[in-house]
Amino acid sequence: MSISGLHLTQIGSGDFLLDPSRSLNVRDKDQLIEGVTAHLMQVRAVRLYYDLSDLGLIDPLYYSWLDALARAMHIINVEMICIRMQPTAAFALARFIEGQPPFKTALEIQDWQK
Amino acid sequence: MTTKKALSEKVKALFALKVAGIASQLEAPGVAVFCGSNRLMDVDEVSDISHELESLIASLLGSKDPTDLTSVEVQALKGFFHNLSQKVLMRGGHVEDVVRYTQTVQFSVIEALEKSSGVAFGQSRSVLLYFTSVFNELIMAAFGAYLDEREQTLQAQQAELRETSTPITEIWDGVLTLPIIGTLDSSRTMLVMEALLNRISKDHARAVVMDLTGVKSIDSQVSHHLMQMVRAVQLMGADAIVTGIHPEIARALVSLNIDFNTITTRANMADGLKEAFRRMGITVGHI
Repeated sequence: MSISGLHLTQIGSGDFLLDPSRSLNVRDKDQLIEGVTAHLMQVRAVRLYYDLSDLGLIDPLYYSWLDALARAMHIINVEMICIRMQPTAAFALARFIEGQPPFKTALEIQDWQK
Repeated sequence: MTTKKALSEKVKALFALKVAGIASQLEAPGVAVFCGSNRLMDVDEVSDISHELESLIASLLGSKDPTDLTSVEVQALKGFFHNLSQKVLMRGGHVEDVVRYTQTVQFSVIEALEKSSGVAFGQSRSVLLYFTSVFNELIMAAFGAYLDEREQTLQAQQAELRETSTPITEIWDGVLTLPIIGTLDSSRTMLVMEALLNRISKDHARAVVMDLTGVKSIDSQVSHHLMQMVRAVQLMGADAIVTGIHPEIARALVSLNIDFNTITTRANMADGLKEAFRRMGITVGHI
């Protein structure tokens, strides 16, 4: 399933992989969240893996999108795990966030499953 | 800059010379400086550089404007002395050796030209001034090489020091240890963080044990840096375990109001490793 700038693929029973593309406009987060939430509720998703491998930097704007999406996932009882965060992105993000993010993190999907 | 029209007769005579066959007379300073007890070069090598120097001096004196210190010919001479200086330094010599050689060879050049032409260039103030201005440039080139070398050595030493002061070791598959020794300031934290995060990504590490046994004091800024480091490790998806916190540091962290609730701590590195192994389902025991 594809929402503008996002590719959502089922990778197991209740597990989904969200792959953002370059055309993702995080300023439209309300619309994006609505689309993702509606689809995940419809398919009874349990877990959402958000692939950050193509993102060299996470700025406050992008973080606010991740934050909002993770909170929305929590509301619909879907666990959101950000995977493959790049060292540069982790470095930048750690410098401006206070406390724990509302999502879980893992190096790879298998690492989380373990 | 002097034009050819304002040159003295002796300088004009100098520039009109066809320089050849003076290399053997330029060897003496090279042999004295480089072939002594320091054994920086052998006689054959000195002979080679003397021939090269002769050819460069011949090109300079025969150039369109030998007084132009920005000319290609002067640049070639500077390059020669720069390379010579690098060679001597690499072989354990000192910049003083090259400077002494440059100064002595200056007088050898004048003497050799006097001998080959029969003109008393050494008696001419203008000729001496001309050679001094050229050889000053060459000494600067030799010093430039020395400074470049020194700068490179310093940078290499600093890089080595940075690396050895924060040795990140993969102690088990997927388990990294980072003993932090000394003070954590902003620039060091950034370097450690960068190195650590890259290692997590490269080694696919799932746990990092950060040992603070070597950290004797902590202030607000350092604790902030420490928190950033732990957070970055967690964001990468690895577990961060902080060990070896001294009682005075624990007290300082409390008084600084630093929230350690989300951070796993253990008394020492051994306990930290046990915790990391436990989380990864690894059992280590006596055989």
